[in-house]
Amino acid sequence: MSFLPGFGRRQPSSAEKIANAEAEMDMIGEMMARLNQSCLKKCIQPDYHEGDLTKGESVCLDRCVGKFFEVQMKISEKMQGDAAMKQGM
Amino acid sequence: MEALNANEQREFQNIYERKQLKDFMTVYSRLIQNCFESCVNDFTSKTLASREQGCVMRCVDKHQKAAERVQLRFTEQNVALMQSGQIPGQ
Repeated sequence: MSFLPGFGRRQPSSAEKIANAEAEMDMIGEMMARLNQSCLKKCIQPDYHEGDLTKGESVCLDRCVGKFFEVQMKISEKMQGDAAMKQGM
Repeated sequence: MEALNANEQREFQNIYERKQLKDFMTVYSRLIQNCFESCVNDFTSKTLASREQGCVMRCVDKHQKAAERVQLRFTEQNVALMQSGQIPGQ
């Protein structure tokens, strides 16, 4: 958090900072792996008549990534909303 | 996220490289399984037929191209998202 420097918060230790960076890297890696698996499965015909992506497969992959992201955003928003509602009760 | 100093960066770099290797091994074994399952279905011989070999080569090519494309789009989306400031903590 760059705003509120040090306000009510002790400096995190090196180990904590590295663990945070590692967790973020894990999250991105995990998401990337899942995205890859899902979109490959949905878009690539497993007959392998050719080694290049067809036009249709390419377009499908582009859209698949877009939609995967959108789903992720929607779920994140919903979970934040749900949590906020619970706290408000 | 707090900035890492030089020592911390070095330590993180080590962790990162170990993870990269592990990730690569996962991708590699998954690729073998995928292409094996898609291309090899005939067990009347114990060696690969040339048709199967061709299929495996095309399978690897296609998977690599698909992964590159997905990675590219993923990065684009991430950049766009960060610029719009929607990821908390970025």
